[in-house]
Amino acid sequence: MKTKMITLCVNGKDHRFEAPVNRTLLQALRDDLRLTETKYGCGTGECGGCTVLVDGKDSICSCLTLAVEAEGRHITTVGGMTRNGELHPIQVAFIEEGAIQCGYCTPGMIMKTASILANNPTPSEEEIRTGLEGNICRCTGYEKIVQAVQRASQMLDTSQNQKTGGLGT
Amino acid sequence: MSKQTYVGKNIPKLDAREKATGQAIYAADLQLPGMLYGKIVRCWDHAHARVLKLDLAEAARVPGVIKVLGPQDVTRKTYNTGVLDLMVPGEIGQLLGDVEDQHIFTEHVRHQGDAICGIIAESEEIAELAAEKVKVLYEPLPVYLSAEESAKPDAFQFDERKPGNRAFQLPEAMFPDNSYGWGDVDVEMAKADLIVEETFYVPKVKQCQMEAHAYVAHYDQTGRLNCWTSTQMPKCVQPKLARLFELSISRVNLVSTTIGGGFGARLGMVFEPETCAMAMAVPGRPVKVQSSREEDWVASESRHPGKYKIKLGVKKDGTPVALDAHFTSNAGAYFTHASGTAFTTGSWLSGMYKIGALRYKGDTYYTNQAPSGAFRGYGNPQTNFALEQIVDQVCKKLKIDPVEWRKKWHKGEGDDGWCIGVPYSSCALDECLDRGAEAIGWKEKRAKYANQSGTKRRGIGVGVMNHTSGAMPMLLEHTTCTIKMNEDMSVVITLSCSDLGQGSHTVLKQIAADSLGISMDEIHILVNMDAAGFDIGSHASRTTYVGGGAVLKACEDVKRQLIERAAIRLEIPEGELKIKDQQVLSRKNPEKRLSVKEICHTGVYNFTDPQTGKTNGVPGQIQGYASHFPSHNSPPFGACFAEVEVDTETGEVQVLELVIAHDIGRAINPMAVEGQLEGGAHQALGMTLTEETCYDEAGLCRNNSFTDYKLFGPVDMPKITCILVEQPDPIAPLGMKSVGEAGPVNPVGATANAISHALGIMFTAAPITPEKILRAING
Repeated sequence: MKTKMITLCVNGKDHRFEAPVNRTLLQALRDDLRLTETKYGCGTGECGGCTVLVDGKDSICSCLTLAVEAEGRHITTVGGMTRNGELHPIQVAFIEEGAIQCGYCTPGMIMKTASILANNPTPSEEEIRTGLEGNICRCTGYEKIVQAVQRASQMLDTSQNQKTGGLGT
Repeated sequence: MSKQTYVGKNIPKLDAREKATGQAIYAADLQLPGMLYGKIVRCWDHAHARVLKLDLAEAARVPGVIKVLGPQDVTRKTYNTGVLDLMVPGEIGQLLGDVEDQHIFTEHVRHQGDAICGIIAESEEIAELAAEKVKVLYEPLPVYLSAEESAKPDAFQFDERKPGNRAFQLPEAMFPDNSYGWGDVDVEMAKADLIVEETFYVPKVKQCQMEAHAYVAHYDQTGRLNCWTSTQMPKCVQPKLARLFELSISRVNLVSTTIGGGFGARLGMVFEPETCAMAMAVPGRPVKVQSSREEDWVASESRHPGKYKIKLGVKKDGTPVALDAHFTSNAGAYFTHASGTAFTTGSWLSGMYKIGALRYKGDTYYTNQAPSGAFRGYGNPQTNFALEQIVDQVCKKLKIDPVEWRKKWHKGEGDDGWCIGVPYSSCALDECLDRGAEAIGWKEKRAKYANQSGTKRRGIGVGVMNHTSGAMPMLLEHTTCTIKMNEDMSVVITLSCSDLGQGSHTVLKQIAADSLGISMDEIHILVNMDAAGFDIGSHASRTTYVGGGAVLKACEDVKRQLIERAAIRLEIPEGELKIKDQQVLSRKNPEKRLSVKEICHTGVYNFTDPQTGKTNGVPGQIQGYASHFPSHNSPPFGACFAEVEVDTETGEVQVLELVIAHDIGRAINPMAVEGQLEGGAHQALGMTLTEETCYDEAGLCRNNSFTDYKLFGPVDMPKITCILVEQPDPIAPLGMKSVGEAGPVNPVGATANAISHALGIMFTAAPITPEKILRAING
């Protein structure tokens, strides 16, 4: 397989490595960069387990994106949400609302939530549910995940009033 | 040491932080030095075929391939992925007729996805490339997709030990007439004023745990077989692997990785045998196997589908005089849980209502579908779909309120439980029904929706259920627990209970912290299969109930030792001492006291005076231990109410609301209990309305993906109200009962009954799809 030297910016850090051109971003993250927090659930963009944030705003399924396509973009995984050991409000909300059971969908759910809130800081319940449609959770029935997104929205809204700052880039 | 600080509180899960930060390690996340990648090569083009020729030469030549393994290159011993053999006494096992009929790599493909060989390579990509180079010549065999087809006299025989392809029926030696129940059903049925009879169909639904099955195995230089797995039952998989590879149990090291969803999908073995066989072929090199979602779907187990014939006879006033039921299920290609599920499906049936006479027959047939196995509820959702609908039909014909009928006829405290001969220790179903009905507005809505003629019609339905907390006395119930007191009074609890994500380790820690009177932060739970004693595993909704019982007993052992030592040091009789606020003190003279910390410290740092030969206090580190066999199964009951809206033009069903009232005994962690009910409801709604694994005529799976197999999404989910009814069970530790397996049960019956209420039509086949609804409406 033909390879290409690429630079991926993940969680604010540049990683330069030689990637086969058919390497997906998910494979690159997990196998080349050993950042295993992003999960494989289906490999076909149906479950959202591999969701990462691009340029602080958009969410993508990293299993459907080639690593070479991600060059020059800022990729945020759930590993990049924590700042100086402090949990991001979305993480706090997921923990405290009981939105995490087996946890396998959680990294993708949190990144999807980051995207939803980056695009719409105060979504309605309906907007949250629609926003989460591409992410499957088999444990929670989504009830507590929706509550966590609402709570995160409130927490971020409060902190945004105190200071401004983007998400995860 | 008895102040209640944590029990009853919404404590966030212990592992939530590491999961929220992506730090939790699942099997597929492991990277070990020198690791190789294994690919299980499966048959994708046939559901039933004989392998005439397997040519691995070209695959072996792919650069980077380390080894190719055919059926003859691995152990030829057979096994059963299920674990019933470890759960019942040998003689019962003989009677049940469980068979070991699975091979690591087979020459007789019995379902699409059966494993035919294995490839070990330097990378996953190379292994996959080599898998494409495997050449197989198949002889197709006839394909059977239902019990009716495979039971035909001229059908291909799957197993000479199972004539007629009947994998299981209730054994005559235990159950005369291959049935169980009570009374004379034929005599009592003849006395009925009304008999309602239906044949229901329950679908093959998939657990769909988000972590596709993945493993690492390593046959190391000390001759130990190590296997990293997210199994629900490490202490059952360990002896099963030991038996399969002819090793002692101490030479099999099972490492439990974070479990990315269980729901029964990881009950017993899954692909551990194939992974370990590959590792055994390359001693010293770890081998990782990651299944694709499609593989997981076609090759691992699902819920048992089948036909449920049910006949209920009642008097004019609704008195149920006789119930006759027969569940014929589809075992799929291998035996697996053929006996267990057929059996328990009837248990939930016999455990529900006070019926004059009852007869249940359960049998299971081989087919060429993927094997059926364990799925949360283990037969109970199937029973719920049939039983709760037939009850509503009776109520409809007799114009009796379905809630009132259930309140009058459900079994309760003192009645024979789901296991005939073991009476129910408690039952809070009346309160569940009352509070649930109140919360959803049962009476008003039931009347309001009675006669509708519009395009969109609403309906409201109820479903009740009984379940269990552990499988005692039917199956082995045993959990061990060790509690080590460190010299600073902090604690390490060692056990082998699995936490599937439901939060059982959190709950066990809450229980221990309160019992020992210390902070949860000072307790560590160690799950290590070498260090921990036996635990049957996480199944049958048992971990809080049985695991919690074991933890409490081990805490009692710790406290007994503390008092024993304080009695010696203080020279006070043990009976006079009590433990309070981390002190052992005299009840008569509280000034006489010794701190728990001091006892723990002295136990470890103990020195002998060289002059006197005396020690400072009592030597020996304190360790509490329990090997716990519960005396009961404190069954939970529950009532679910569903409100739906059916579009009679499109056939679409919108579930508007669920109210789930659950008889929890005592909620150790209410937030976690709600999580189980909400998540269970999600699975129940899928089974009732959208989920079914479908096969084409050749037996090839048509929907092994999340696009083609419809799960309820966040938009589809209704508003859910959980009501936790807390009437402590008199026998249960802390009065608690189970919840996990109960989750996906009665929203099934409630939703089906709500649709029937909306349309006046009962649907006998799940899932109740828009197509079926339109067909029924339009005739």
